Amino acid sequence: MKIKTIILFLVFCYAITYAKIDLVTLPERDKVQLTIYNSADLTFVRESRTLTMKKGENKLQFSWANTLIDPTSLELLVLKDADKITVTDLVFPPRITGLGVWNIISKISGKVPCEINYFTSGISWQAYYLATLSQDEKTMKLEGYVKVSNRSGEDYENAQVRLIVGKINLLDEIANLAKRYPPHGRPEEPPIPKPVPMEATVSYDRVKELIKAAPAGRIIKQIEKEGLSEYFLYTIEGTETIPDGWTKRLLSFSQDKIPVINLYKYDESRFGKNVVRFLYFKNAKSHLLGKEPLPDGLIKVFKIADKNERLSYIGQDNTKYIPVDQEVELNLGPVKDIKIEPKKMNIKTLNYVFDGKGNITGWDEEQTWTVKVSNYRKIPAKIEITRTFPHQYWTIENKGDFGEYKQMDIRNVRYVMEVGPETTKQFTYKITLRWGTRQF
Amino acid sequence: MILRFRELFDDFFCLIFEIKTNAEVFMKKMIILTIIAGIVLWSNFSFARTKFVALPERAETIIRLDNPDFTLVEEERSLPLQKGTNQVDFSWAGVNIDPDSIRIKILDHPEQVKLVSVSYPPGENALVWQIYSPEAFEEKIRISYLLKNIDRLITYKAVADKNETKVNLQSYLVLRNFSGEDFSMAKILLDYGETFEKAVAHEETRQMLFLTKDGVPIEKKLTFDARKLPWDPEKVQGNVGIPVTYEIKNEKNSGLGEFGLWGGKARVFQDDGKGSTIFLGEDNANYTPAGEKMSLYIGDSRDIVVSQKKIKDIRINVRRNSDGAVVLYDTDEVIQVEIENFKELPANLTLIQEIPGEWDMEETSHQYEKEDANILKFNINIKPKAKETVTFHYHRRNVR
Repeated sequence: MKIKTIILFLVFCYAITYAKIDLVTLPERDKVQLTIYNSADLTFVRESRTLTMKKGENKLQFSWANTLIDPTSLELLVLKDADKITVTDLVFPPRITGLGVWNIISKISGKVPCEINYFTSGISWQAYYLATLSQDEKTMKLEGYVKVSNRSGEDYENAQVRLIVGKINLLDEIANLAKRYPPHGRPEEPPIPKPVPMEATVSYDRVKELIKAAPAGRIIKQIEKEGLSEYFLYTIEGTETIPDGWTKRLLSFSQDKIPVINLYKYDESRFGKNVVRFLYFKNAKSHLLGKEPLPDGLIKVFKIADKNERLSYIGQDNTKYIPVDQEVELNLGPVKDIKIEPKKMNIKTLNYVFDGKGNITGWDEEQTWTVKVSNYRKIPAKIEITRTFPHQYWTIENKGDFGEYKQMDIRNVRYVMEVGPETTKQFTYKITLRWGTRQF
Repeated sequence: MILRFRELFDDFFCLIFEIKTNAEVFMKKMIILTIIAGIVLWSNFSFARTKFVALPERAETIIRLDNPDFTLVEEERSLPLQKGTNQVDFSWAGVNIDPDSIRIKILDHPEQVKLVSVSYPPGENALVWQIYSPEAFEEKIRISYLLKNIDRLITYKAVADKNETKVNLQSYLVLRNFSGEDFSMAKILLDYGETFEKAVAHEETRQMLFLTKDGVPIEKKLTFDARKLPWDPEKVQGNVGIPVTYEIKNEKNSGLGEFGLWGGKARVFQDDGKGSTIFLGEDNANYTPAGEKMSLYIGDSRDIVVSQKKIKDIRINVRRNSDGAVVLYDTDEVIQVEIENFKELPANLTLIQEIPGEWDMEETSHQYEKEDANILKFNINIKPKAKETVTFHYHRRNVR
């Protein structure tokens, strides 16, 4: 088994020979805070440690062999007496991998609280949702979870866990930086190597031990949520122990009786000839939500099938990130119990234009379409039909039960209607397309 | 290694080399300066060089990193010059020096001591200076040369306040020495910021904080570039983020403006108001001359949603030839952009639009600036939780 661990030595040593380090103390982590990102394989780790300094020159050695730490992100912050203690530089010594040495000049001796910050890869989190529709499909219970996985090579015990929702710009993958030697590359750089996935190596017994050691708290933890810059920060109450290789799922929120609308869309440019079912709601107070944005994640949608609350599975979708007050349309896939059949019933050409030589240069084309909309379900359905035309030179005439008509842009129109249970509606539109010089 | 030294001790040298290879360490690489004393006849040159006299120690050494592509090393050495013409060998092994870059400067007696000639021995990493001295001097000289495989990276760390109005800016100098040379002590300098005096070993990387500026004002900007981002975010799998940039002005107001800021990787953090920070993102800062802006793209906003569509596009003012064929026309086009701010804070958004060819603006809902003939820039301020619609109506002229 590979030894994967972060080791910190405080040494007092004046020679530049790194091999002969005089080991003095091995400071333990006092506190550790993990800020985990979901849009990139990146976790910002802040460790609090108490270092024992001696007056004069101190060397602090940090080694991270076989972990996934980005050495270019390493930073040592002195929290107390910062004016008396200077971190002069950080040296990555020649021909030694996974090791850095901070040179510190201290005007005082004694215990000094410090913080060591770095980026690591291998810890990730995702949002995960379980939705349960009521039997009449008018309301939904939504449970949001966060799943935190640790494949970093390092066990994090009693860590404060914070999760960031947001899309950050990253130039290099942290996993690649972690594998790079020398840490900052060389002048005339060879390309950054591809990362090798790490294997979990912690035994189950070790995990039980770690979990047992974790302090007891509330049974269901609260997650504090707040916006920062363009991101959203979730802070999980208390601390968590996440051994290498393990995943934890925590409940973020649970809300029952969210009003939802079953929306069926027909748009050949997006879904072909399928009718696609969407579940519409709003991440807003009007829908008993709106306290926080909903991070992107997998949602599994079930339905209560009978009085005994047995479940039936409807489908799943990968949701987008949903800001507060934005509308949500969950794509639950194509359905068969709603049918939409547009048919071209009549074609006519007219208004021909000829040039000086008698050749045709323009004409109009009149197409008459009938659209049949059938709801075979026992509950009402909201239906949205989008029609796309080949160009912007057209006029339209609608007839029949076409509901609400709207021109979306120069080439798309939309019909929105409610169709009652086990009902069929029909409407007709006549589109006149102008071709050739008739477009001028 | 010096030529003769190597010849004399060839066996010994090879032995050392072999042992080191077995131990998987690198052969010692170094720069050596030798002085061969005595008055030397030019014709006798190659023989004269066989006489090993002294190996002057390095005195002050400077590693100057102010050129982005080259590193200049300047070292001072004391030469025990004898009266007459002295021959000084400068040779190197295992390091890469541009021979044409090597310069020598006489420091103590520049009026009397003269460089007579420079020769390049064939097939050797060396050059030979002939230095004339009117009397015996312990002469200090300065040798300058461009050394390869030693350079610097500049990195930035910026910590923004919670309101995103200013940053505490730190800049690090990361010296990467893979040149083959160990410097027992050297002054390391850029063209600004702190200088350092450090020992730098071969294959060592050393990261030093060389610039700190607190409270540097920033401007946060969101940019929707209609040429690059999808117009209808609803049709896109996943979210369409609006790029967010921080702009730092390299000027007096920022406590800067005295020098151009080097380019390099910048990592931006933000104070969370609770004694900790979050990482906001990173970007490669470009070289920023004094008076200019450093722009850092940190990440995307997904709380601002922009959707754009064309609501009119017809041909007008059509001109035909005698055959009735269309030869020239204008267009009548309307673009509508809807911007929704789902945040509880106002946002500044720059909309970038392109109209090809020749055009006239008929009507706009918001003011714009012309970036060039075809690029329009609208600066839109959107109130918290508000929706703003930008409409512009234009004619493209004389389309063929």
